[in-house]
Amino acid sequence: MIGRRAAGRAALLLAAVFAATASCARAGHEIVFWQFWPAEVVTPILERFEREHPGTRVRMEQLTWQSGLEKITAALASGNVPDLCELGSTWMPRMLDSGQLADWSAGVADLRPELRGWELCTIGDAVYGIPWVMGTRALFYNKTLFARAGLDSTRPPETWEELRAAAAAVHRLGGGVSGYGVQSGERYVLFKKFMPFAWGNGGRILADDLRSAVFDSPENRAALEFYVGLRSVGVMERQDVLDRAFKEGKIGLQVSGAWLFKSIPRDAPGLRYGVALVPRPERERGTHASFAGGEVLVSFAGSKQRQAALELARFLVRPENALALAASAKSVQPAGVGIDTAAYYREHPDEALMVRQFETAVPTPNHPAWVDMEAAIEDEIEQALFDRKTAAEAVAAAQQRLAELVGKR
Amino acid sequence: MAHREPPPPGTTNATAWLFLSPWIATFALFGLYPFAFSLWASFTDYSPVRAGGSRFVGLENYGRALVDPAFWSALGNTAVFVVGTIPFTTALALGLAVAVQPAFRGRTLFRVGFFMPSVVSVVVLSLIFKGLYATDGAINGLLAALGLPQPAWLNDPRTALPAIMVMDVWAASGYYMIILLAGLEAIPRELYDAARIEGASAWACFTRITLPLLRPTLLFVLVVNTVRSLQIFAEVFVMTRGGPLRSTNTVVYYLYEQAFYRFDLGYASAVAYLLFVVTLGLAFVQMRTLRTTPEAAR
Repeated sequence: MIGRRAAGRAALLLAAVFAATASCARAGHEIVFWQFWPAEVVTPILERFEREHPGTRVRMEQLTWQSGLEKITAALASGNVPDLCELGSTWMPRMLDSGQLADWSAGVADLRPELRGWELCTIGDAVYGIPWVMGTRALFYNKTLFARAGLDSTRPPETWEELRAAAAAVHRLGGGVSGYGVQSGERYVLFKKFMPFAWGNGGRILADDLRSAVFDSPENRAALEFYVGLRSVGVMERQDVLDRAFKEGKIGLQVSGAWLFKSIPRDAPGLRYGVALVPRPERERGTHASFAGGEVLVSFAGSKQRQAALELARFLVRPENALALAASAKSVQPAGVGIDTAAYYREHPDEALMVRQFETAVPTPNHPAWVDMEAAIEDEIEQALFDRKTAAEAVAAAQQRLAELVGKR
Repeated sequence: MAHREPPPPGTTNATAWLFLSPWIATFALFGLYPFAFSLWASFTDYSPVRAGGSRFVGLENYGRALVDPAFWSALGNTAVFVVGTIPFTTALALGLAVAVQPAFRGRTLFRVGFFMPSVVSVVVLSLIFKGLYATDGAINGLLAALGLPQPAWLNDPRTALPAIMVMDVWAASGYYMIILLAGLEAIPRELYDAARIEGASAWACFTRITLPLLRPTLLFVLVVNTVRSLQIFAEVFVMTRGGPLRSTNTVVYYLYEQAFYRFDLGYASAVAYLLFVVTLGLAFVQMRTLRTTPEAAR
């Protein structure tokens, strides 16, 4: 009997604790903000926002790149979503398709000419987020190896032919030095290293209306042939291994991301390197295309503070605030148009090049089955890289898989 | 012994339930509920990112998995992993246990040393091995010094899975060594003494006394290790992400991708239950073939 009463008391206590935590979460004007950047970078910006908006508090939670998506998925499943959330461009197509994002079309109309990257969060005329910071890939090259190979280290390659020739010259140095770092063996990364060449050559993935696949084209075939051919003047490895080898001065050229601006001074302060636009097919043909990714700020239909979240998002994308984040993180650049004229980028020309690279970068199609499409393209590129298929066969196989996926939702 | 009043009827039970309740509540919330929820989800097209409810689809998810070549290739890779690691892990663990059982100077040092990898997080181990296996890593450095060819270990579809398997055998043996050591300690010394008086060789002692009496412990090691190996995930997630050419794509990594990249939680749950059935079946077979028969116990 005593036991039962005690159990009842324990249950009551438990209920009281739950009720207390639930009401705590609702108290005051509080914006719950989930994002991926280090707290020491974002907190000062959020503190400025709180000073500008007395009575509003931002409760920031830092997600990790490894498990952040799982946490967001769980939040959506339980209905306990944050008010403002940072989402990577890879996840956007499915999120846009889910119908769970808050429609911000009216609240962001005035911002549209000021920022790039709206493709990442737009369906038709409806806007479901604000582009915060952008990320792209560019050509990194080792100036010391260039000089040793008898190349002009102030003149990075601008065309495919020049790229191949430069890689071959560096590759001939031998002694553990490779000409080009060919990405392989890793999902979600390979795509971003190959497609710059395909897009630059005029190749595409889906038709504009997203209703049919147009991957099997002479442009994409030629790009894959070129990419696979780089193996003979380089080394095939994963992103982190290639980046490490580049920092150790063992790789002449590779397409990589702005995160190197942070890690090179730390790991290899003496490295003499340059950054250039991804080479185009020929001097007068094609574009310096690259992969356009980015981080988008969104609110959910189930968010409690949607209006306040929009205000915070508008604050975060202001040039000075986005620049504060970009200057500290270095792996991304603000989405603001003309940001490369800011004093910071005049002092950091290599980082400014990333902003320029973004101007010719191509966003991925906003198709709900995009994650599967990306995987299909990567699978087939890998088949060609490991000599299981010819470039033509791989491109045709990718086309077939894309055609099957295009009708799926 | 003092005679005690029996407690009033009902009290013992209630008190016992009260003391058990924290565990029961935790288990119900974090064990039973997810278990039941995922079983339900496996019969629906449940996706957390889709607004609106989920649709009951019957056995569609299961059917989809059974005709998906990617699922079968993941199951094949997992089978290769299980079959290719467990004999080595068990043999190595047994060898280590026999080696560190007798009293000798520094015995504790060896026992602790061999057990150490089990204390370290799999993620940390995987990161270390990723570095060792790199094209310009320590292993290839050694091979180069010996004038041998240097494979691209994790970046070659032929060597990636075996490389992860070697790491797993190395990392897991120490843990099973401790369990087998406990089994060895439980074998009465007198049996060995008697056998030696009869003139039995060390090998005869091992095969006639150690192995038969260690059978229940070995069975436990086998079943536990099979269940663990079927769920291989963290190593793949950290080291290869299923690549290259999906050569290291295991069932759990496959279902992780379905659940958290494609948000197809219904399908992922069905895959999880298919793996559950395979695990249950294997454990059953192992128990049936290896369990201590009355004759052996006598």
